[in-house]
Amino acid sequence: MNYKLTIGWLYPELMSTYGDRGNIVVLQKRCEWRGIKTKIKRLDLGFNLNDLKSCDLLFMGGAQDRQQKIVANDFAKEKIKALKDMVESETPGLYICGAYQFLGKYYKEADGTIIPCLDILDLYTVNPGANHPRLIGNIAVELQGVNTCSPSRCNCSYTLIGFENHGGRTYLGKNIKPLGKTLVGFGNNGNDKTEGAFYKNSFGTYLHGPILPKNPLFADSLIRLSLEKKYLPHQKAGGSPTINLSPIDETLENKARSAIAKRLNVKL
Amino acid sequence: MNILLVLFGKLLSTISRFFNLGSGSTWPGHLALLINKNFIKDLLKNSKIKVILVTGTNGKTTTGKLIQTVLEKSGKKVFQNASGANLLNGIASSLLLHSSILDKINYDYAIFEIDENILPFILKEITPDYLILLNLFRDQLDRYGEVNTITKKWQKALSKLSKNTTLILNADDPQIASLRRHLEGVNIKFFGIDSKNNTEKTQHASDSIYCPNCGEKLTYISTYFSHLGDWICKKCHNKHPQETFTSSPFYPLSGVYNQYNTNAAVLLAQALGFDKEKITASLKGFKPAFGRQEILDIEGKKAQIFLSKNPTSFNESLRTIASLNAKTILIVLNDRIPDGRDVSWIWDVEFENYVDSFEHIIISGERCYDMALRIKYANSLKNQKIAIGQFNNLTIEDDLRKTIKISLSKIDTKQTLYILPTYSAMLEVRKILTNKKIL
Repeated sequence: MNYKLTIGWLYPELMSTYGDRGNIVVLQKRCEWRGIKTKIKRLDLGFNLNDLKSCDLLFMGGAQDRQQKIVANDFAKEKIKALKDMVESETPGLYICGAYQFLGKYYKEADGTIIPCLDILDLYTVNPGANHPRLIGNIAVELQGVNTCSPSRCNCSYTLIGFENHGGRTYLGKNIKPLGKTLVGFGNNGNDKTEGAFYKNSFGTYLHGPILPKNPLFADSLIRLSLEKKYLPHQKAGGSPTINLSPIDETLENKARSAIAKRLNVKL
Repeated sequence: MNILLVLFGKLLSTISRFFNLGSGSTWPGHLALLINKNFIKDLLKNSKIKVILVTGTNGKTTTGKLIQTVLEKSGKKVFQNASGANLLNGIASSLLLHSSILDKINYDYAIFEIDENILPFILKEITPDYLILLNLFRDQLDRYGEVNTITKKWQKALSKLSKNTTLILNADDPQIASLRRHLEGVNIKFFGIDSKNNTEKTQHASDSIYCPNCGEKLTYISTYFSHLGDWICKKCHNKHPQETFTSSPFYPLSGVYNQYNTNAAVLLAQALGFDKEKITASLKGFKPAFGRQEILDIEGKKAQIFLSKNPTSFNESLRTIASLNAKTILIVLNDRIPDGRDVSWIWDVEFENYVDSFEHIIISGERCYDMALRIKYANSLKNQKIAIGQFNNLTIEDDLRKTIKISLSKIDTKQTLYILPTYSAMLEVRKILTNKKIL
């Protein structure tokens, strides 16, 4: 089968700090190396709704406050609705840091001001103010949000390795589950040991690094989910994997992962 | 009071160097400030010395050294703070070490490179005669926060600037040039580079392509690198300043970024009244600051170090060495505090444009495997060869000493090994290379 994926990159110009575009590079290359054709659709300010709807996988990175305000202004009602529909209909997506917060219900500033967000995911974020330190450092997370097994190999337990750097503390509502359990680091809020969130095939996380290069099985899961959603539309979300991706050598990935895991005293 | 502190500090610094406890470039000042928090202010109050401050993400050390070279060539007595000792304690130490024991400063000029984050604090202590703002790029987001945050702090600090200070601003950086707003009565001069031979397509790590005034996307008539260029806001008509100095008579270092550093230094020298011939002559005798295009000779082979500490400086290093036809390169990536603990930024570097032109890429440092992954994904090979890790021109070795040996073995006599290290890695590389016995 000649697979083809359209990857939608939401606001590459504005929502892209901390090397987040590395995630796009990884998704694209891991597809190409397997003969899966990819098209990267850059969805910048004023993007066309049909372009968004044509995507099989979505990605949005973090941003500076000012940039995020510009994006918020660009997110007109019909854009929010279209994105919400895609999330509800199980289009896979990865949302990092600022984007993760942005998909929630609201962001509460230190002075109590409530900034409404897109209200797509059942979560909210609180900025506790300048007296509380930003949550910064290397982080290890036991992945719970997605099955990283493939029909040919089982990796049911997988540890995500990354770097977090956020002032906001995120709390999850009833209708959403954490992406994983924080083993070392702060995660969503530094208290409840949760990190990130997943709802259907949408994944939010605070992990930079960027997240995908050092967590190739998570990257492959996103690719697999996108292919399954596109080519096997009747398969239920969260079911066991059916499409088998050919393996890619992970020597370098494993060395990069274990270098950090060793420092954090985490077993991979 | 300060007489005692100066004496005490000098003594401490001597002891420190004698027992090899460090260069003493920060902590004597740290102690002096603990005892007298107005130490810097008091010391400068009684002095006729002219103070030049240089800040920005990239180019502080080189620009400072360029200015020092020009001034010294004209017979002026000049001192500069130690590279990297650019927080309050470093400034205090530098003043302390250059004061006589009677707390008099017998110099004509002091040049201080200032960490961009602490400029507001420094301006409370020091009224500079000249303040050079070079640029703002993303750098160590874990430590500094975002570019916009720093600009806001600067704008606030500059609003209280003395009328005796001349501001020297980069006209091509919209964030920097836009600081002129709300600064009536302040003497401002602009530098930039000549648009004729420097146009590039915008690179990825562009931070300030939105108008600092109204938030509208800026229009670029030409772009030189990152967000530097000839810009205009079509909405609020904020635009690149017209009168901009772009023509140093001589450029001692390669790289577009060094054209900026040189033009900033020459503009300052002209403002101080030095004539063109003297400036040219001193630039011709310029020796780079350590690790900034510094060339070391190792048994007939050359190693040239290009400090590469953030996406922009890395991109410009790559562009410069590619123009020098580099074939063998060594990249050293560390993640200590001076490097930034987050190495995500390497994914904002445009390796894709360059990796295929290098014959050997050698990688070391504490995060060598992160860098190796970046190179793996930057390679243009479409087939599985790269995916399965068989790229013949990549060597990864975490032992730095061994790495340097391997790297030098890959070049012939008279060839150059190009080394691109982060900050702490640069210090280590230099230490190994300058101690020739080890090789």
